[in-house]
This record gives sequence, structure tokens and C-alpha cells, in this order.
Amino acid sequence: MGIVSRWMAVMLVLFLSSFSVIASAGDERAAALKPGDMVPDFTMPATNGFGQRLAEARGSFLMLIWLGRCDECSERLVRYQLLAESMALEGMKGWFVWTPRGDDRPPKMRLPVLEYDQKWRQSWLFEDRPAVMLINADGRLDHLITGDLKDNYKETEQVVMRWISQGRDYQLSE
Amino acid sequence: MRLLVLVGVFMASLVHAEDAAIREDVMSVKNAVLDLNRDLYELERQLLSPATTRAAFHITLNHGEYFEPLSVELSVDGQAEIQHLYTERQVKALRMGAVQPLGDLNLAPGKHDVTLIVRGVDHLGQGRELSITESVTKTSKPLITEFLIVDYEELQSARVELKYW
Repeated sequence: MGIVSRWMAVMLVLFLSSFSVIASAGDERAAALKPGDMVPDFTMPATNGFGQRLAEARGSFLMLIWLGRCDECSERLVRYQLLAESMALEGMKGWFVWTPRGDDRPPKMRLPVLEYDQKWRQSWLFEDRPAVMLINADGRLDHLITGDLKDNYKETEQVVMRWISQGRDYQLSE
Repeated sequence: MRLLVLVGVFMASLVHAEDAAIREDVMSVKNAVLDLNRDLYELERQLLSPATTRAAFHITLNHGEYFEPLSVELSVDGQAEIQHLYTERQVKALRMGAVQPLGDLNLAPGKHDVTLIVRGVDHLGQGRELSITESVTKTSKPLITEFLIVDYEELQSARVELKYW
């Protein structure tokens, strides 16, 4: 094998391996997210309309609610939906992420209910569910609240109120 | 004393000339690196997608009155190759005439069965699936195609057509 072709083969291997390193690094980052981290981009289909892409939500506050087991669990989520809607004027969006299991059916909500399916390579799944992620306008994770959604609602509401008012103060001071 | 000043000025000009030479060398090295980078990029592109195997697929939406795409999947010879999920903003862009590059594939010269499945909703909000399977012939030239989602007025529906560029 000539020097040139060997060199080309090495370059090709390096180039291709960089893709797998980038892909696995993205998955690991998503699994180990903590406040202060940039949230990796995703696109997921919705059960009630268009798919949503995280990068397109930049510029808004986003409350991303990862559901645990949920079979038409709309009632459990109503308070979160009202919270997100009441903050819509402040520039906050709310999305639910639902993972189907067995014959489970998705909750019927007004907010987008994203459906995680590993077949879509543009999406990833947060392992520590249920969880509420508060993602700021730059796409950074400001708060992460894990555990039962019903138990954590009060805490989430307080954190959201503080978070939005701090964000508003920050925007005004700029 | 005057001699010392003259020697000093001479030395300073020497140092200045040396600096200029080094700067020139640095600039030429930088340019060489840029050239090399460009060559490497071109080499990678040719290695990964030479003209003999390059097949590019695009998608467009004509009017979109009877169909709104939510996702698209493209497979070649039964192998799933490309998938994409649409957001509202992307569908708006398609409606305004955007041409979406679905992706580039490497196909060996010869015949291939290309299947495109577009899932979405019709004008009544009902789930719809449009699909097309075409046998395409790849020659030694690049294959560049466009899938058009066009309204089908007579049936108040939509269909997919394949166009070669």
C-alpha cells in the first residue's frame, strides 16, 4: 500500500470515528444533565400537532416536563399546564414528553405532548423521570426537579415564579 | 558616541527586518495550512461521496392545502436511510417554497428501489400517509432528485411525485 493511500485510509478512519464519538458524547451529556449544562438539541413528534425542536424554543423560557408512566394521565398534568399557560405572557413555554409503554395512551393536553420513540435519531430520553427541567432562553438548564410530579408541584410553582421574575429583572437590566 | 548611535540604529533596523521576515513566514505557513485544510476537505468529500456514488434527495411542498407533513422517512432497497421530523416553522418554510435537502447517500451504479413515506395530516385534521416507491437508475453521474408533495384538487388530497434534476 502506497504512502498516499495509507494516509488517505488513516484520514478516513479518523473522520468516521469522529462521528461516533460526537454521537455517543451527545447521549452521555443528555443522560447526566445537571443545572448549568447546555441542554442537547432534540426534535420529537407530538401526539397533538407539529413536532417540536428544542433549538427553535431558544429565546423563550421552557418548562420541559418528562413524564413517568402515564396512561391518559391528563388530570395529573392539568396544574402544570395551567402554570405554563399563566406564564405564557412572560414568554414561557411548556412541553410534556411522554414515553409510551404497552397499550398506554397519551394525555390529552393543550400544550404539546412530545412522544419519545427511539426510532427518531434526532431525539434523546432523560433517564431520571419524572422530572421538570427549566431551560432558559439561551438553552441552558437552570433548574432540575426530579421525582413525583404531584408531590413536586408546589416546589415547581415556587421555583418557576422566582425563575421567571429573575429572568425578567435580568432582561430589564441589560 | 555618534558611532554607538549609528550601530544602535543599524541593529534596530536589522531586528525590524528579521521581525518582518518572521511575520511573512508565519503568514505563508498560515496560508499553507488553509490550503491544506481546503484540500483535506475536498479529499474527504470526494472519498465519502464521489460523483459515481453520490445521490442527493430533496423535498418540496406545493401549496400544501390538503396535506401538512409531520415526518418523512426515506429508504433505499428496503433499508431505512433518512428520517426527519417537521416543526411548524419548517412546514411554513416549505409552504413558502423552501427546498429541503433530505440528505446525500452513496449508491452504487445500477437500479435501486427508493421509497419515501410522508406522514402528516390532511385539511380535515385526519392522519394521512403518502408514499411513493420508484425504481431509480444510478449512473456514473451524480443522481439528484426532488420529491414533490403536490395537491390533488380532484380528490381534495395530495400525492408525492419524483422529479430528476
